[in-house]
Amino acid sequence: MIASMKLIDLVDNHAERIAEQWAKNVVKNPMTPYYQKLKADRLVPQATRLYHHFRSLFMEPKRAEASDGYFSKYAEERYREGVPLHEAIYALILMRRQIWLYAEFQATFSTAVEKQQAIDSVTRTMLMFDYAMYFITKKYRELMKLEWFETPNT
Amino acid sequence: MSGSLKLVNLIETHAEPIARQWARDVRKNPRTPSYHGIPEDKLVPVGMKFYDNFKQMFFTDKPADTSQQYFARYAEEHHQRKIPLNEALYALIMMRRHIWLYAEFQAIFISAVEQKQAVDSLVRTILMFDYAIFFISQRYQELIRQSIEEKLGVVNVLRMESPLGAKQGPYKTAIMIALVIGAFGLTYYYHAMLGRNIIFTHLLYIPIVLAGIWWKKKGILVAACLGGYLLLSHLLFLKGMPFTDDIIRAAMFLVIGTVVAFLSEGITRAEELYKPAN
Repeated sequence: MIASMKLIDLVDNHAERIAEQWAKNVVKNPMTPYYQKLKADRLVPQATRLYHHFRSLFMEPKRAEASDGYFSKYAEERYREGVPLHEAIYALILMRRQIWLYAEFQATFSTAVEKQQAIDSVTRTMLMFDYAMYFITKKYRELMKLEWFETPNT
Repeated sequence: MSGSLKLVNLIETHAEPIARQWARDVRKNPRTPSYHGIPEDKLVPVGMKFYDNFKQMFFTDKPADTSQQYFARYAEEHHQRKIPLNEALYALIMMRRHIWLYAEFQAIFISAVEQKQAVDSLVRTILMFDYAIFFISQRYQELIRQSIEEKLGVVNVLRMESPLGAKQGPYKTAIMIALVIGAFGLTYYYHAMLGRNIIFTHLLYIPIVLAGIWWKKKGILVAACLGGYLLLSHLLFLKGMPFTDDIIRAAMFLVIGTVVAFLSEGITRAEELYKPAN
């Protein structure tokens, strides 16, 4: 966990900068065309919120439950804005990548020991984003009321 | 890349045991209940096929382009099995985790140099799976839209909804005018000419139902119009006969017209939920 603290501090301290870089990236990414028409002042706050929330999601002992609450709300907001599911997911993937792309990440984990810490941080971050993918797709499904059209198979 | 090669070699030589471990895990994970009923022997080939494609993605400069078709097919197969997208994606995430779990178990990244290789492998694997998640969720959305369109097929024929968005309004109005004139004529013929009050009124449900489907709440006006005309015609031409039957008939016109109108509105709202964002 100590290894991941470095990453958490980095994300928390540079949330706005990372969010700005993400916003620049998401508006020109060919996989997220919906975001192209959105202004940075609408995009930056949603990423900043996630980056500031990163610490609490990381520290929470019941991480899955904490992710459920946060990312279900995230999904609901994106759904109401009319963002297609695959783009909402990819925008989140870009948010995660932006953390690693952030210039200081390289400097944060440079030595051999720190490489091990990097692996630990990456693995823990992935776990959190894995939950995010699951809860976002689950919430979209509920909001689209797809059960109206499906025969239950379980 | 050499670190990734190590991982690829591991996947290539151990695809079957990794896939089997994944299959066991996915069959009991609380987030993938749709997989619990699928026999392990059917799941193992799914995992093996995936790991085989994973290996191919590693050796191409454009992994997204190479894998798009494979992931589209993967989505189609899972959608056909009625596995919800959130579960299909979580099963995929578990496939990735099982690679790492197996790699850890095999202890392939021990030395300091290998730790650097491990980071490279992790990053590259994550990139592959990011593409997978994107393409699978995109294809799922298309398949969901297609299947709902199919389920609404007959209703859409009745609604005269053109898939190309052509205006059908004038045709609907013309058909409705013809049907209402026909209904008026039929009522006049039976009431004024034959002096009878028999089952012809069932035919009046055709314009009532169609008006409800086409114009929703506004369509109730047609039911009210036909019900009113039926009562007026009874008052004018069937003076000696009991009025109760036609009052009940007129009331039923309104009830049926309203029910159909609300159902049609519900279908339109449901359609809007899954329509792609513009």
